[in-house]
Amino acid sequence: MTSLVTGQDALVEIQRVSKKFPTDGKAQVHAVTEVSLKIEHGETLAVVGESGCGKSTLANLIIRLHDADNGKILLKGQDITNLNPREMLVHRQTMQIIFQDPLASLDPRVRVGTSVAEPMRVHKAATKEAALERTRQLFELVGLQPAMMNNYPHQFSGGQRQRVCIARALALNPELVIADEAVSALDVSVQAQVMNLMLKLQQELGLSYLFISHDLAVVERIAHRVAVMYLGQVVELGSREQVFRDPQHSYTKRLLSAVPIADPRQRTSRPLLTGEIPSPVWPAGEGPEVINHVEVEPGHIVAEE
Amino acid sequence: MALLSVKDLTVTFDDFTAVNSVSFEVEPGETLGIVGESGSGKSVTALSVMRLIEMGTRAKITRGQVLLEMPDGHSLDLLGQDEPTMRSIRGNQIAMIFQEPLTSLNPVYPVGEQIAEAVRIHEGLSRKASLIRAREMFDLVRIPEAEKRIGQYPHEMSGGMRQRVMIAIGLCCGPRLLIADEPTTALDVTIQAQILGLIKQLQLETGTAMMLITHDMGVIAEVADRVVVMNQSEIVEHGSVEQIFHYPSEPYTRGLLSAVPKLGSMTGQDGPQPFDLAGGLA
Repeated sequence: MTSLVTGQDALVEIQRVSKKFPTDGKAQVHAVTEVSLKIEHGETLAVVGESGCGKSTLANLIIRLHDADNGKILLKGQDITNLNPREMLVHRQTMQIIFQDPLASLDPRVRVGTSVAEPMRVHKAATKEAALERTRQLFELVGLQPAMMNNYPHQFSGGQRQRVCIARALALNPELVIADEAVSALDVSVQAQVMNLMLKLQQELGLSYLFISHDLAVVERIAHRVAVMYLGQVVELGSREQVFRDPQHSYTKRLLSAVPIADPRQRTSRPLLTGEIPSPVWPAGEGPEVINHVEVEPGHIVAEE
Repeated sequence: MALLSVKDLTVTFDDFTAVNSVSFEVEPGETLGIVGESGSGKSVTALSVMRLIEMGTRAKITRGQVLLEMPDGHSLDLLGQDEPTMRSIRGNQIAMIFQEPLTSLNPVYPVGEQIAEAVRIHEGLSRKASLIRAREMFDLVRIPEAEKRIGQYPHEMSGGMRQRVMIAIGLCCGPRLLIADEPTTALDVTIQAQILGLIKQLQLETGTAMMLITHDMGVIAEVADRVVVMNQSEIVEHGSVEQIFHYPSEPYTRGLLSAVPKLGSMTGQDGPQPFDLAGGLA
């Protein structure tokens, strides 16, 4: 088996990470099975797949919101897989996460400026005055008026709220921002504006993104590299050009062919797709077969079929 | 003459005008796409055509006409009809499907029974005949293992299968217009492709006209013949799908299109690229 990892000096490296969740009864959901990936400094790695493919679980494993059953998670070469919450605290400054629904991520009764400053308070990263000044800078950085710091979440539009969540994620100068469907709930014009902001911030701050999304057109726009997940495993990994222009795995091809293209001249009379994704739930003691990967060209890794 | 002509439709919620002087037509057998962002008034427009908007809300249709061409050739202004008349029109002439099939289906009845119920109410068929129709509808919407599936409850089906059931209920009385409000928005992309393909196929087979409401320009480009673009309660532009996507005349439409990520548009680009936003979005 060829390793799913490429290059050296990764910001994050995960090695054969697995996670199962119990269901009622004796069955288990095999959410993530033996996934290995690297996220390099300053790059965007997108993870795409359909509902239940394990992409959000993978994000939560990397940032240690879930504990992995097996495998290793390395942050800048250091093994963080089994660190306790106190030991993790210092590493959380390096990794921050943004979720899909900003309204659910912000406390409705707390002024947004206070929410943005909270990470600095928790990590004792700044004095009160310095935190206030930093919050002001963060608001400007994400394109919000600093005067809005005293408002409550309900006084903002959806796009503005997501900017607040991005500001909070940046408060501690992280190196990795995990964006879990961070633009999926936004209207298309707002989505484009927030994506442009994320690209600008990456340029200015040298951020790495782990960009979790179900939307391939969005991913094509924002990613340097792409991992396609299916039933808890990575079926294809490569540069954006490799995966989008030269897809090798049948699932990647199927996924790409299903995306509606916003151009009536490209309307296709493609054959009616049939079939649904099998269940990731297995009886106790059973589980999916771990798939082997081959490197079809440098950096382009495909699951054997 | 058009199957449906909406003229100067205006709907208010107290002081707020949710739909402002909207006019459009749907021709027999065609697909009219209504596209817009959240709050643009597209769903209120659809619910007003069905005369469902005033039920349990403070909404008032304050102006306009919704003319439906009846099978006998005369045209009926739906805004002037009483509820019993509207009940005979819903399902028989105009049917509607929604985004989330799980909230539209009754959780405690088998899905086949729910199709049969619609047929019994609208066409007065016997129980046995209605169940036979339900079975035919299952085949029409290509639900595999129909014998087994027809007795299942909604929670036993996947999202895609549930939406097929909703389409079956919508089409079971042979309406001439199907209003589909974000019918694939809650579905995964491969399932969305299946449902869109099915809808297109069924239109060819049955000749049903469709009003497709969506925020997704990709879905519009795939399915619609003509497009109405809504923004802030008003129609900003309408035209053929070709005109809207390739020769948009309004700044709002151009802005909207500039924000849409288009699969394949990044070929040959080195790294990620920001959107070149137009129409005041930048």
